[in-house]
Amino acid sequence: MIRFERLTKRYGSLTAVADLSLEVRGGEVYALLGPNGAGKTTALRCLASLLAPTSGTTWVDGVCTQDDPVGVRRRLAFLAASMGLYERLSATELVQYFGQLHGLEGDRLDERVEAMIELFGIESFRDRLCGRLSTGQRQRVSLARALVHDPPALILDEPTIGLDVLSGQTIYEFIDRERARGKAVLFSTHQMDEVDLLADRVGVLRAGRLVAEGSPQSVVADTGEASLARAFLSLVQQPEQGVGS
Amino acid sequence: MSTWRVVFRKELRETLRDRRTLLVMIVVPVMLYPVLLITMEQLLIFGMRNLEAEASPVAVVGEGAAGLEEVVDRFETLRRVSIGTDLEGAIRSDSVTAVVSVGPAIEGAGSRAVVVLFDAAADRSIRGQSELARAVAEWEDSLLARRLDEEGLPRSFAVPVSVADSSIARPDELGGYTLGRILPLLLVIMTLLGAFYPAIDLAAGEKERGTLETLLTAPVPGRDLVIGKFVTVALIGVVAAGLNLASMLLTVQTGVLQATAILGLEVSISALAVLVIFLALIPLAVLFGALFLGIAVGASSFKEAQNALTPVYMLVIIPAMLPIFPGIEFGPLMAILPVAGVSFLFRDLMTGGTDVGLGALVLVTTSLYALAALAFAARAFGNERTLFGGGGEASEAPSGSFMERIRARRGHAQVPSPGVAVLFIVFVAVAFFWGGIPLQIFFRERGLLAAEWLLLFAPALAFVVLGGFDPVRTLSLKRPTGPQAAASILVIFGAMPLVWVIGWLQTFVLPVPWELLEGLEELVTAETLTRLAWLLLLLAVTPAICEEVVFRGVLLGGMRTLEPWRIIVLNGVIFGAFHLSFETVIRFLPTAALGMVITWSVWRTGSIWIGALMHLLNNGTIVVLASIPALQELFSDPDRPPPLWLVPVALVIFAAGVRLLQNMTEPPIAGLEAPGSIPPSPETL
Repeated sequence: MIRFERLTKRYGSLTAVADLSLEVRGGEVYALLGPNGAGKTTALRCLASLLAPTSGTTWVDGVCTQDDPVGVRRRLAFLAASMGLYERLSATELVQYFGQLHGLEGDRLDERVEAMIELFGIESFRDRLCGRLSTGQRQRVSLARALVHDPPALILDEPTIGLDVLSGQTIYEFIDRERARGKAVLFSTHQMDEVDLLADRVGVLRAGRLVAEGSPQSVVADTGEASLARAFLSLVQQPEQGVGS
Repeated sequence: MSTWRVVFRKELRETLRDRRTLLVMIVVPVMLYPVLLITMEQLLIFGMRNLEAEASPVAVVGEGAAGLEEVVDRFETLRRVSIGTDLEGAIRSDSVTAVVSVGPAIEGAGSRAVVVLFDAAADRSIRGQSELARAVAEWEDSLLARRLDEEGLPRSFAVPVSVADSSIARPDELGGYTLGRILPLLLVIMTLLGAFYPAIDLAAGEKERGTLETLLTAPVPGRDLVIGKFVTVALIGVVAAGLNLASMLLTVQTGVLQATAILGLEVSISALAVLVIFLALIPLAVLFGALFLGIAVGASSFKEAQNALTPVYMLVIIPAMLPIFPGIEFGPLMAILPVAGVSFLFRDLMTGGTDVGLGALVLVTTSLYALAALAFAARAFGNERTLFGGGGEASEAPSGSFMERIRARRGHAQVPSPGVAVLFIVFVAVAFFWGGIPLQIFFRERGLLAAEWLLLFAPALAFVVLGGFDPVRTLSLKRPTGPQAAASILVIFGAMPLVWVIGWLQTFVLPVPWELLEGLEELVTAETLTRLAWLLLLLAVTPAICEEVVFRGVLLGGMRTLEPWRIIVLNGVIFGAFHLSFETVIRFLPTAALGMVITWSVWRTGSIWIGALMHLLNNGTIVVLASIPALQELFSDPDRPPPLWLVPVALVIFAAGVRLLQNMTEPPIAGLEAPGSIPPSPETL
């Protein structure tokens, strides 16, 4: 469903992502791990057509990002870490706006907007301007915005950053639900408990390179550490050498 | 609904919920603007009346001035007081506003010296002086009348000519003339302000709030995104401008302002003029909207965008101010000058006299500028570096001295980057302006020679050496082949008459500065062989080396990685701009055209020697031809058309030269620095 094929992205002489290849299948949740600056966001942005790769390709639901960026965006929900919302639009207006951008109109648009409002519990603040929402409420609106067109693939860039436990729980439930609906979910995170809880597979990026990949258990086993957190630390701190499974 | 309309509707909705935009768009023009004008006017009138109501204390000193004292006492606006001998001190201490000092009485037909002492830096004193001068004039009249009576002469004896000014300007024309100088500037500024904040908000504001990334993940083609945002900004700019125009007209045209009535002015702008003004405001608002949007999207925050746009704001105001200055006429040149054309058109429409052709030229050129600005904005929105920054580059920014940073930026290519090359040209231009012009003023021709070698050639060499660049590649020092040189000779001899035609054609739209041309003609005309040799050294050999090293050397060397058309056009335009003078722009177009031809030839052959040869032949031919007496008349009159038979002949020669050069060279690959250059090392790939 989601595929990176030898993706490389350079900024001048700095290589942000190097020769990255990975695949996320439908009904699978894949966690992309790595310290700050490892290239997670750059890779996700290349997939979402926000950045042009230096070389390599990315695919979503059989569509190549570099050949048909708009087609890929139609098949993708992208939740950025910044959770950017238009402060002077109400929650409903915001979800409607993104529905329209995805080509929804008339009754279908209304149906989807109402479904999102119900699904994420937005009803009580649906007419409030986004600038006046709490962090948790903003995250729920962000999810509704990203999911309004019901895409087959989801990219979540640090989706629980800055959220309290309750709001985080909403995200976990949402990811579980989408997996059950056969969606491919690729998310980046720094929270190892989140990975343990949600991810079917993980990939660890260090300096732009994928240094480990597999189920959380297999990555822990390959490093010989006691936990995923320790395995992660040992992977990102050790000198350059690939670990894969 | 098309995507751009979805974006537009959302942007408009959000923008109209922004208090700052509403303030600038509606509140300022509708409320504050007339209130401000009326308040200022009331304060002015209040001050004037205060001055008028109070009788100015003045003093009359000197022997035998009783007659003047009597006249002063009759003036209600003056109050005579006595002061001591320190006349200046009395004025400075505000005891009096002005003092009239009368000289000794003169017998017979002599004149009596009278001095009115006042403080030109104080309003009260100026008023006292003006009233006192009227009193002195009245006294003078009475003295003159007495003299004429004594001689038995009529009063008209002393007034052989009676002069009276009578302006044919109607009050509305006078009003238009007075206000027409200020209102266009205000309209341009308000249009600009109308687009200013929305542009920042919709571009940098979106980035600052983190919504741009979200938006770009939606399936919106970049074109629709730019159009949606741009239409919003332009619409707000147009609405703000329209409201300003309406508010301004209501304020000045309905007689609310008393000052206009007091000064005998009327403001009567026809409905058609108002319509044309509004129509001209649309492309102007579009121009500002697109320009601001394109610049603002490069900024990462509202504040950064404000900082980036403020110099642009200042630059835009300068041409808008041109109609205020007396002596600057609205002609074709002003019509095509961005913003200035619109400002001049507004002035003419307000004064009731507009040239339809010029008006159309303004509308067309402003629309073209607006389209160019729109293309710029679209490009800025499509540039990932503009949208998301340069990734890790910031952390890699080279530090150290200026030259060290330039060296660090040169990368592996051994040639300067386009930005560094342009920076060098700016440096050279500034140095030539401040150093070259004084050298020419003080040392004439020798000064020009020194300026070329010291301020062009030497800095270019120093730049290449100190910057650590490869001189062969930076300056295109590849040796040309004989056939290449021959072909380039055909190109330049074919181009010269065509450039002549361009120069002749532009005399239809640009004024010919005759005095300047006579000076130039005198400079390039040699009467003796020694003088001819000197002129060839000064005007042909020297520029062929010094200017080529700068323009086809450093500048072209730095730009080789750009697309070919950019390299050629930019080099020609910069070369033409370098030959601009205060007096005229007439040399720009021919020089730019010539620069493009030479640049193409050097770019194609990779050899600066070709450029030097062409430059030498062009300048040398002009010097030689201008020195042949039989041909002098032909060249000394730029209005005179070139011989028609020359055009097809020149075209054939030019085309043949271009074709030959094309056949004997491989086109340099766009993106690589020079033909046959060393390929980049693997780590740079």
